[in-house]
Amino acid sequence: MPSLRVPYSWLREYVQAPATVDEIAARLHMAGMEVDRVERVGGAWGDKVRVARIQKLEKHPNADKLQLATVEFGAAQPKTVVTGATNIAAGDVVPYGELGAEYVDGHTGERVVMKPKNMRGITSEGMILSAKELGLGEDHDGIMQLAKSLTVGVLLQDAIGDAVIVMEIAPNRPDALSILGIAREVAALYNVKLTEPRAAELPGKLDPSLLTIRIEDDRACPRFAAAYLEGIRIEPSPDWMQRRLVAAGMRPITNIVDITNYVMLEIGQPLHAYDATMLRGRVLVARKAKRGERLRTLDSKDRALRPEDLVIADGERALGLAGVMGGEDSEIRPNTTTVALEAASFEPLGIRRSSDAHGLQGSSGSAAARRFGLDLSPALVSLALARAVSLMGEHAGGRLIGSTDVYPHPRDRAHVRLRGSDVPRVLGASIASAESADALRRLGFDVQVADDTIDTYAPAFRTDIGIAEDIVEEVARIVGYDRIPTRLPFGPLPAHERHPLDVFRERVRDVLVGFGLQDTISYAAIDPAWLTKLTADGSPLAPEPLRITNPTTVSQSVMRPTLRASLLDTASRNLRHREGVGFFEISPVYLPRKAELPEERWTVGILLAGQAEPVHEGETWLTSPRSWDLHDLRGITIGLRDAVGAGPVKGALQRGGPGLHPGRSLRIESDGRVVAVGGQLDPRVAAMWELPEHATFVAEFELAHLLSETPAHPSAVMPSRYPAAIREIAIVVDEARPYGEVEQAITEAAKGVAESVALRDLYRGPQVGAGKKSFAVRVVLRSATGTLSEEDVEKALKRIQGRLERGLGASLRS
Amino acid sequence: MATATDLKGLADRAVKEISSAADEAALEAVRVRYLSRKDGLITAATKEIATLPAAEKPGYGKAVNEAKQRVESALEERGRALREGAIAKSLSETADLTLPPRRVRVGHMHPIARTIREITRILGSMGFESVEGPEVEYDYYSFEALNIPRDHPARDKFNSFWIANPLGDPTDRRVGLRPHTSPMQIRVMEKRKPPVRVVVPGRCYRFEATDATHESIFFQYEGLAIDEQISMADLKGVLYSFARQLFGGERKVRFRPDYFPFTEPSAEIAFDCFVCDGSGTTNKGRCATCGGSGWIEAAGCGMVHPEALRRVDYDPSKYQGFAFGGGVERLAMLLTGTPDIRLFHENDMRYLESV
Ligand SMILES: [Zn+2]
Repeated sequence: MPSLRVPYSWLREYVQAPATVDEIAARLHMAGMEVDRVERVGGAWGDKVRVARIQKLEKHPNADKLQLATVEFGAAQPKTVVTGATNIAAGDVVPYGELGAEYVDGHTGERVVMKPKNMRGITSEGMILSAKELGLGEDHDGIMQLAKSLTVGVLLQDAIGDAVIVMEIAPNRPDALSILGIAREVAALYNVKLTEPRAAELPGKLDPSLLTIRIEDDRACPRFAAAYLEGIRIEPSPDWMQRRLVAAGMRPITNIVDITNYVMLEIGQPLHAYDATMLRGRVLVARKAKRGERLRTLDSKDRALRPEDLVIADGERALGLAGVMGGEDSEIRPNTTTVALEAASFEPLGIRRSSDAHGLQGSSGSAAARRFGLDLSPALVSLALARAVSLMGEHAGGRLIGSTDVYPHPRDRAHVRLRGSDVPRVLGASIASAESADALRRLGFDVQVADDTIDTYAPAFRTDIGIAEDIVEEVARIVGYDRIPTRLPFGPLPAHERHPLDVFRERVRDVLVGFGLQDTISYAAIDPAWLTKLTADGSPLAPEPLRITNPTTVSQSVMRPTLRASLLDTASRNLRHREGVGFFEISPVYLPRKAELPEERWTVGILLAGQAEPVHEGETWLTSPRSWDLHDLRGITIGLRDAVGAGPVKGALQRGGPGLHPGRSLRIESDGRVVAVGGQLDPRVAAMWELPEHATFVAEFELAHLLSETPAHPSAVMPSRYPAAIREIAIVVDEARPYGEVEQAITEAAKGVAESVALRDLYRGPQVGAGKKSFAVRVVLRSATGTLSEEDVEKALKRIQGRLERGLGASLRS
Repeated sequence: MATATDLKGLADRAVKEISSAADEAALEAVRVRYLSRKDGLITAATKEIATLPAAEKPGYGKAVNEAKQRVESALEERGRALREGAIAKSLSETADLTLPPRRVRVGHMHPIARTIREITRILGSMGFESVEGPEVEYDYYSFEALNIPRDHPARDKFNSFWIANPLGDPTDRRVGLRPHTSPMQIRVMEKRKPPVRVVVPGRCYRFEATDATHESIFFQYEGLAIDEQISMADLKGVLYSFARQLFGGERKVRFRPDYFPFTEPSAEIAFDCFVCDGSGTTNKGRCATCGGSGWIEAAGCGMVHPEALRRVDYDPSKYQGFAFGGGVERLAMLLTGTPDIRLFHENDMRYLESV
């Protein structure tokens, strides 16, 4: 939002509210005029900096470039200070800081406390100070000259100190982007009188042989006024004006330029002053740039103009980019005596586009362009012009020769009719029409209240008023938002139907947190180089990502199509300061789709790396250190399925996942794509990320797929009330035979009575011979319908034995 | 064959061994030696009864039973004494409870996830259903439908990231990363008829420099309520209640005018700073949490602009309502005392385990 610095002393010229500056700032803030802070000008000067007069000035005995100034400042004894300044003379009134005063070092810009300083053999008793040293601006060329009318000896703070209300003005209120605009708000809020600034009478007539104004595009330039002044003397503007400009954040230059800036700050309307003798053909034209036209702007840049750019031109050439920046050719010079002063109104969109196209937007742009880029009222044109003419008469010797104003289609004041009930309807507060009308009149609206209608006519400078709600807001701002009561919505509640995936996502999160894994969230935009480091050969693991066309940094320049890189990065960074990590992330990945918005596919990523035990690093008194292993990862993923109540896996289970160890990973394919992967990270990939080559494990799966495998509600199992028969069997099989087949064979052979199968031990060694392994398995046999007899148990075991021997070529050992 | 006298001797020996059994394991060994079903010494004698002539059975049987009962009751008595002794001994012991425990692995919910859950829970209790929407979004929903046409000065506040799709962009539709969750206001209203009451949490993106309080990728929450009589008073009520439930008890709430193109009137809601209790200063000077203002700005809000309602074919003369939106990180920072917003995405386990 555009910011505005409001020096309190300046504000008080137009409005005097019965309140302190802090109270006024707070009130403005609560009325929607955002106050960032209140700065004290001279707050740091305290009681150590005073108004002083230079009694005499002598040469330093030991240095050509130094002088000794004797200053009186109200104390019994004057003091002698050593100074290198050349802009002073005896009799000047200047700021004097005693030892211990705080000031800004002119070279470093830092705040320092004044200490006794020996300069070529003479100790300076304090300092006389420049504007920069006082924190009043950048001027460090000489000692700040104070008005001779100031009383010597008073605190500088009392003489020229001030407060500045630093504000942020909403872009729909360019009228308030000015001291007068804020004064109007203060007057409305406190219901006190507003004193408008002095302005000259403009004759509205100008001899065309001196200057003619022409608008060629009245959409881009709805109003163009100018004044013609002679007898101008270019000199520094008066002290008070310079001080105000500095306090408001602008740099004083010379009187004419300063006055245009001063009026812009005061009224909100930018102005432009031309040396009238430089205008060829004695015309000022608002027109679109010609093809191939060029302009050298005030920032000394040669610019190729675009045909869409609006320029102000004389009879032959473009003089400036209208509303954005003036040109060098026609600027005010030290010897200028005749001034053509322009006040115009421009269509904001065109201004914004021109300033964007020429790289003059935002903070690099001109103060004028920032204002013209908003919907500034053309009504301000005549006021600002008259005010500037008046100031140029007072402070630059300017004689008004004539003025002109081209305004082909004057803009109507906004008229909004609302129902009397609209204010309470929107606010929920009982505010009567009469009170609303009063609030609006304080803001300068004309208001007519009839039976059920309120007709409002906004002041001409307000361009933000268009609908009833705008009027309601104005009323609410003035009566105060505190008048709005608090209540809770009533009436029928809309049906609740939270998306099942959102609910499921939070369930998965709870389960994984419950498993002791840390929940993480990483940046959704990543470095594209990461995507080439996910497989051993650099081949892509995911589709080509969406690219951010204007990234702030390459490290966040593509939307991640996989969580893998983020998981590896998080692990890698954490393993620099710990032995092991176990964490997960649930976030969408972004997958481009042809000619529509990308798919944002919610994905769960789990990563285990390094040490699993001890949980508390280094604490081994109850546990022995061990690394994460594949079975940990499998336990977590299978445990998650169990915890959320997932049914059987949907899709084809295959060995090997992209970027993972080919023999120690799995993937699930469904609907022609991989919906889940898990296993040990390919050790070559682990090495690229500085992760443990043999102890990094990853799982990733689509949340929606897991949800599709999960029934909405679990189905209950009735526990059997009959006793169990528990048997242990040792089963010797070929090394290549997976355990799953053994367990499946047992369950199928003893269908109906095999309640559970547990692997007690896996043995390889001389007792079973080479190429063989032995599973020790505990089988719990139990029936839901009755106690199993010894005979039933024997029969079931025989069936199991038969199936294992015939089906799997196993041999059973006792 | 053993005589009754032998049996008595056997029992005597057993009782003696029982009384000298030092613990339950020794006692069990004695029981097995004498009473084991398979080869206990007394069990063996019992089995002999069957082989005796009928006349001798009663006498011998009685002797066996007596011996067995003596041993069993001695076992029981000694067993009880041993257990009681063990309990008494155990009770006299103390453990060093300052030793580190057998650690359980503990996971923590991410503070953002937890804050979002808290936000949606509180607003859910007021009838706001939680819905989510796309992060990669059409310019239309991010801006235009919200009354922020291209070149609108308010767009300066929402510097956006724009997206190039490797498969080709939708014709004529500019796609970017949403700078706020507000597009979902439009998407929800397009799909539903009033009454509407939703809360939308989600990731947002803005092209801006990052510092301790700004991230270019962050989370927002958005509330929307539309019905025939929803007013600013309801907005104030919902946000006050939200603040009290989130921060507890006596949180002060400030409601002041603000400007957003898609609400009219607009407001900003702030809570009094719970670090300095709204004073703006702490014993260390200016309060760093609120920057000395005593207030913490939490959300922008207002009545949905009639233009936005018209765009989704809601009749603004019949329906009205409010919207509000704020940063999740801001709330999470306040709730956890997190000093730097970048910690949320850094995933340093030392931080995440602390919050
Ligand atoms: Zn505070």
